[in-house]
Amino acid sequence: MAVYKRTYRRYDGPLTPQWSRFLVLTRYSLYTLFDSRPFTAFVVLSAIPLLLSGVLIYLSHSPMARTLLQLPGPIIKIDPKFFRQVLLNQGWLAFLMTAWAGPGLVAPDLANQALPLYLSRPFSRAEYVLGKMGVLFLLLSAITWLPVLLLFGLQAGLEAGWFKENYWIMGSIFLAGMLWISVISLLSLAISAWVRWRMVASAFLFGIFFVGAAFANMINGILNTSWGHLLNLGHLIFGVIWPKLFRVAVDAAGANPHARRPHLPPGMVALAPLPIPLWQACMVVVVACAVCLLLLNRRLRAREVVRG
Amino acid sequence: MSGQAQNRIVFENVSKFYGEVLGVNRVNLLLSAGVTSLVGPNGSGKTTLMNLMTGLIRPTNGAISVLGIAPSEPEKLARVVGYCTQFDSFPPSVTGREFIQDWLRLHGFNHQETSRLAEDALARVELTEAAGRKIAGYSKGMRQRIRLAQAISHHPTVLILDEPLNGLDPKARAASMALFEALGKEGMHVVISSHILHEVDRISDEVVLISSGYIVAEGKIPDVRTEVKEHPMQILVRCSQPGMLASRVFAQNHVVEAKLQNDGRGILIRTTNADEFYSLLNRLIVEDGMQIETVAPADDDVNSVYQYLIGSDGERI
Amino acid sequence: MNQAGTGAHMWITSQPWRLWGHQIMAIVRQELKHNFFTRRGTWIYLLAFGPVVVFAIDAIQTPGCAPCSLDEDTSLFAATFQLYYMRFGIFFGVMGIFAWLFRGQVVQRTLHYAFLAPLRRELLVIGKFLAGALMAIVLFGAGVLLSFSLVYWHFAARGYDYVFHGPGLHQLAVYLGVTALACIGYGAIFLTLTIIFKNPIIPGIAMLGWETFSGIFPAMLQRLSVSFYLKHLSPVSAPSDGILALLTVVTEPVAVWAAVLGLLLLAAAALALACARIRTLEISYSSEQ
Repeated sequence: MAVYKRTYRRYDGPLTPQWSRFLVLTRYSLYTLFDSRPFTAFVVLSAIPLLLSGVLIYLSHSPMARTLLQLPGPIIKIDPKFFRQVLLNQGWLAFLMTAWAGPGLVAPDLANQALPLYLSRPFSRAEYVLGKMGVLFLLLSAITWLPVLLLFGLQAGLEAGWFKENYWIMGSIFLAGMLWISVISLLSLAISAWVRWRMVASAFLFGIFFVGAAFANMINGILNTSWGHLLNLGHLIFGVIWPKLFRVAVDAAGANPHARRPHLPPGMVALAPLPIPLWQACMVVVVACAVCLLLLNRRLRAREVVRG
Repeated sequence: MSGQAQNRIVFENVSKFYGEVLGVNRVNLLLSAGVTSLVGPNGSGKTTLMNLMTGLIRPTNGAISVLGIAPSEPEKLARVVGYCTQFDSFPPSVTGREFIQDWLRLHGFNHQETSRLAEDALARVELTEAAGRKIAGYSKGMRQRIRLAQAISHHPTVLILDEPLNGLDPKARAASMALFEALGKEGMHVVISSHILHEVDRISDEVVLISSGYIVAEGKIPDVRTEVKEHPMQILVRCSQPGMLASRVFAQNHVVEAKLQNDGRGILIRTTNADEFYSLLNRLIVEDGMQIETVAPADDDVNSVYQYLIGSDGERI
Repeated sequence: MNQAGTGAHMWITSQPWRLWGHQIMAIVRQELKHNFFTRRGTWIYLLAFGPVVVFAIDAIQTPGCAPCSLDEDTSLFAATFQLYYMRFGIFFGVMGIFAWLFRGQVVQRTLHYAFLAPLRRELLVIGKFLAGALMAIVLFGAGVLLSFSLVYWHFAARGYDYVFHGPGLHQLAVYLGVTALACIGYGAIFLTLTIIFKNPIIPGIAMLGWETFSGIFPAMLQRLSVSFYLKHLSPVSAPSDGILALLTVVTEPVAVWAAVLGLLLLAAAALALACARIRTLEISYSSEQ
């Protein structure tokens, strides 16, 4: 008769609740990111434009401070355009932060075949994506819509009656910020899951926005159209959707100085290409996000295909 | 460079630090022709030593020469050295044959010579039939062998093999061991790192024991064992009267333990002075007519030496 | 002086040039085999041939292009070349090609095979550079050639006259030459960045900023950018308004020969730095990806 010593006992201590388990990934990824001093410095530096904006708001309401600084008249008008511009500046900083931090969240897991390790736990693929996206949402929110809402609060506190007329800007700030964050987060995760190499994923993210813009301008110039902007995600979000959200004029359809002039019979006047309609811009953004989700669904699997 | 160094692999006070992490520290080694095994637990510095002698990494301090060539001169060193690394990775979409041929072309060999050398190497590791298939479809053992084929394809004088038996089935393992032994006997310097201690023991001319970045022993296994004074030598004596032998040896100061075998026909002695014990045994045979079947050291194999010097947890004693 | 000359002559004659040539050719062949036509490079082909598709659509839309003006389309092509190809297409494409040459091998954990070959590491740099430059020049040169052909093919007989009896052929040759120089200049710099930095993308993006805004810096600093030399070589000027002027306007004119020589010297300096750095490069795969 064999005698076995039973020394193994399964863990029966407390578990993280299922609904918040994805936050474990978020927490550890954040720790890893903030281990890097340059990254921490970048996060701190991202607050500088916000501080300057806060100073501008304060100065525009403080004649005493303006006098002391010998500044003539009100410096800047605090209106929806101002908040849109501040959010736009922060949006580009958020883009840089995403290009830096985003690809490092997923690509190394895939390259080192760590995904089976995650997914062999009671942890789903959706939770994995949520956990990784949570990192970007927290970080990017902290430098975009959240501080801009604080600036809004500052302005509302300094000018009586202003809030009543402009309370809707809060919703615009939140929606505009979340839209941008969602798009760049999804893009960065999807690209890094696709190329599995952090460095290339960062370059791709830049390429999508910069080369996309150049390509769009080229199409608009050669074909004398504005349809090219459908390839320019930056223009669609900042130039078409955001102006609607902030109730300001839509950006010009990207006048290309080299665009071929349409050849019309004498006496007829050429019309400038029409700007991209809002619904088309929204549609392209939704399609881009859907493609990212499809890519993530396809790539984030607990298996490795080896072609031999 | 002295004539001795021209024929040896020499480490002179070599240290390697990865930032603040110690790779190896103050290593002094002279490796001669034949099979030398680097033995130590994971992270002890075996791969670091191999990477240092092939120039893949540079020492923080000290100097290395391989048959008189500095590793900082890859154009000379790689002509005499073949290195089968631990990295189980290959260029994408290449067949086994292309993998070796592409590498041989970097040596400057012409087309015919490249083909001949590649086929020789493939035959030596018994991969000729599979050489036309893509490496991505190879088993782990085949990948191990194709890397070995690449390392020997240019007929090097020094062959460095990092864990070459990993992933091999028993048959391939035995064939590889035989190949290493044969190469060692042909006069080649074969440096092997492995965790399969008893196999390494069988073919090694010398072992280098390494732990936590320090060389803890080097030389032939029995010589190393003799030098380990902290651990009394174990000698197994099979004889007809183990009880009598036990009573006689207990009178000696150098014997610290005598353990009778369960079958009543043997005794395991632990002694701090093996030479004295053997003299005593001779006297007992001559004077008392004791019948001895066998006398054999029980712990001068590489396993025991490894255990004594490095310990099972890899800590240096 | 004489002794120095004799020493140099002896050094030159004692080097194994033939072997080095063989080894460089072997590297070039292997790089082309593994990297030229791969699925991984699809986006680079898109960058190179995207404008070809757009010009083709234009040609189909307006067959014969009776109302179009040759001058206008010549200017349009110049703008496409300067603003798209030179600034973004070639920049990002070359970044992709050259970053892969070394860092790709580090990610695939195969660089040690090259380091374990009896080969001067400088030859590895030169071989990889030549292979990368060849790939980039062929891809982007073909893109420019096809785009140019479509622009003038569009004009039928007028286009034929412009190209073969007018300034067209000369312009094409200059465009192709500038494309080659851009590939060489950016390629040498990216190759060096990939050897010096583990993640060359951040310095690469900083370089994009530098290349864009160097026009506003003093003349000495401008000479440290590839675009400074390329701007001088464009056969047709494409003046731009606003921020686009940064990309096209020449603020510090130099002669054509000086621009070509300057760019080649800049590339050579970058390669020399890469050669010096690779001698001490260590294999460390753990921190990649």
